[in-house]
Amino acid sequence: MNEPDLTALFGSAGVTGWLHAADLRSGREVGLGSDEPLPIASIFKVPLMVEFCRQADAGLVDPASRVTVGAADRVAGPTGLSAMLDDVTISLRDLAYLMIAVSDNTAADALLARVGRDAVNTMLAGFGLPGTRVRQSCREITESMAEDSGHGWPYLDPADITRLRVLDPARTNSSTPREMAALFGLIWRDEAASAESCAWMRGVLNLQVWPHRLASGFPYDDVGVGGKTGTLPTLRNEAGVVEYPDGGQYAVAVFTRSVSTALNQPRADAVIGTAARMAVDHLRR
Amino acid sequence: MDLVRHLRYFTVVAEELHFGNAAIRLGMAQPPLSQRIKRLEEELGVRLFDRSARQVRLTEAGHLLVGEAREIVARADRLRELVRHGAGTVLKLGVPPDLAAAVIAALVAGFRASNPDVRLAPAEIWTADQVAALTEGAIDVGIVRHPISAPGLRFGQVLVQPHGVLLAEGDPLAQSGELHLADLAGRELLLPPKEGEPGLHAATLAECRHHGYVPAQVHQGVGLGLVLAGVAVAFGARVDLPGLAWRPLLGSPISSRVSTAWRVETDAVTGFSAVAVRTLKESAGMTDEAAAPVRHISRRPGMLA
Repeated sequence: MNEPDLTALFGSAGVTGWLHAADLRSGREVGLGSDEPLPIASIFKVPLMVEFCRQADAGLVDPASRVTVGAADRVAGPTGLSAMLDDVTISLRDLAYLMIAVSDNTAADALLARVGRDAVNTMLAGFGLPGTRVRQSCREITESMAEDSGHGWPYLDPADITRLRVLDPARTNSSTPREMAALFGLIWRDEAASAESCAWMRGVLNLQVWPHRLASGFPYDDVGVGGKTGTLPTLRNEAGVVEYPDGGQYAVAVFTRSVSTALNQPRADAVIGTAARMAVDHLRR
Repeated sequence: MDLVRHLRYFTVVAEELHFGNAAIRLGMAQPPLSQRIKRLEEELGVRLFDRSARQVRLTEAGHLLVGEAREIVARADRLRELVRHGAGTVLKLGVPPDLAAAVIAALVAGFRASNPDVRLAPAEIWTADQVAALTEGAIDVGIVRHPISAPGLRFGQVLVQPHGVLLAEGDPLAQSGELHLADLAGRELLLPPKEGEPGLHAATLAECRHHGYVPAQVHQGVGLGLVLAGVAVAFGARVDLPGLAWRPLLGSPISSRVSTAWRVETDAVTGFSAVAVRTLKESAGMTDEAAAPVRHISRRPGMLA
């Protein structure tokens, strides 16, 4: 069986794409640029959730303990606490739920402040994921874009975009398609944290609301898709696990960068699903 | 015209692709063989062979018909053989007409090996008509499709065979390694006749609807011409036919469920029932009903978001 022509598929959607997919039962893999270091944008919230769960498992944090998120803690973002006007008192695990299900930046930074960036990176190194690093909080991502371009959102000028540190994998939160798929594999195999915590993480990842990327490739009631998106100017990503009705589980990470600087990129969103489907179909043959 | 005999000539010529060699195999002269093939072509209204000066080739239509023709010839042979075995007790059997020829042959051979004194008399009857035939005593035992409602009948073990999709080789969907029912949206569907298989009809269409496929039109029949022509898709067990692609269905939502059925229990009936279960498992890839997959529904929040 020939490898699927992912390059042509990504090209027809006006993007450069990278992908890694692994069958969690057999270990079979397929990829395109699987080891390319790439900015992961909001997908960094997944390793953050993993380390939060490990600290909860170790008794270092109480996941039900409450924090108050006020005006000073609020970070730019279109969802969750980021979009709200008033102070919110919320448990740590509900912050984690918000940062995964709707990619709430404020919730992510509040949790990151509690869990610690170094702890996340130590955990990643411990799992043998040297290409994955968390270097910036959501606030730092937002502020660095303003500094690099000299103005606020939106970032549409190609000259501005070439200057953004958040698009340089050496200076922002980064990983590779293979390592992101591996991290999801750890969560699905109960290896990322305790079995109970992994089950909770899978439940939260399954509650992610966005249907337009990975999930769009599997528009079927009996196929489960749990994942986390990542979005920055010209960059559209998602990593997750696709679960088939016969029990098949496939960790898939898809990264794209578009030539266009438009904010709305429906073709880039959709090709993430199409490419994932093509890769999974290949692994199932 | 004797259609079966003409079809036999056709299958031999199709194998040899040489009229002279085919005539030798059939123990006849070449001119009458050529004439009979011509008559068959006139009868069917289609050319079966391209005859150039140097070689004989099957036409598209010829390719399409040769498999069916072989099946008809094999069944006719089987019929004669059954008559030859015709001493002693007779067990009258009904089988759905779309049950594979090889399976019918295996059933007959298996039963003969274990019950040499009983002659099996099979007839092709759809499930709904088998129910009537069993009630009237026109047949002793049948192989019927489930779901079925027939008070007064008794059934053997129900066996399940997951079905895939049959579609034209050129259909863009054939590029995928497997398909979901929802992928078939907009396509027409070929099913066995509704009057003959009402349970299968209703169950299949309900399952299609659950999984997001409402056929644009439902055709009724058993020949795969409509599928080959790209007009419709059909469900069935894996087959390897030129011009057709078979793809498994994601989640195995469509399956054929069959069992034996009888009204009056005799030694011959229970003997046949046991042979049928064994044969259907061994030569038709069927499994116990409990082994059929249970449907799993994704917990994605898309519905309310």
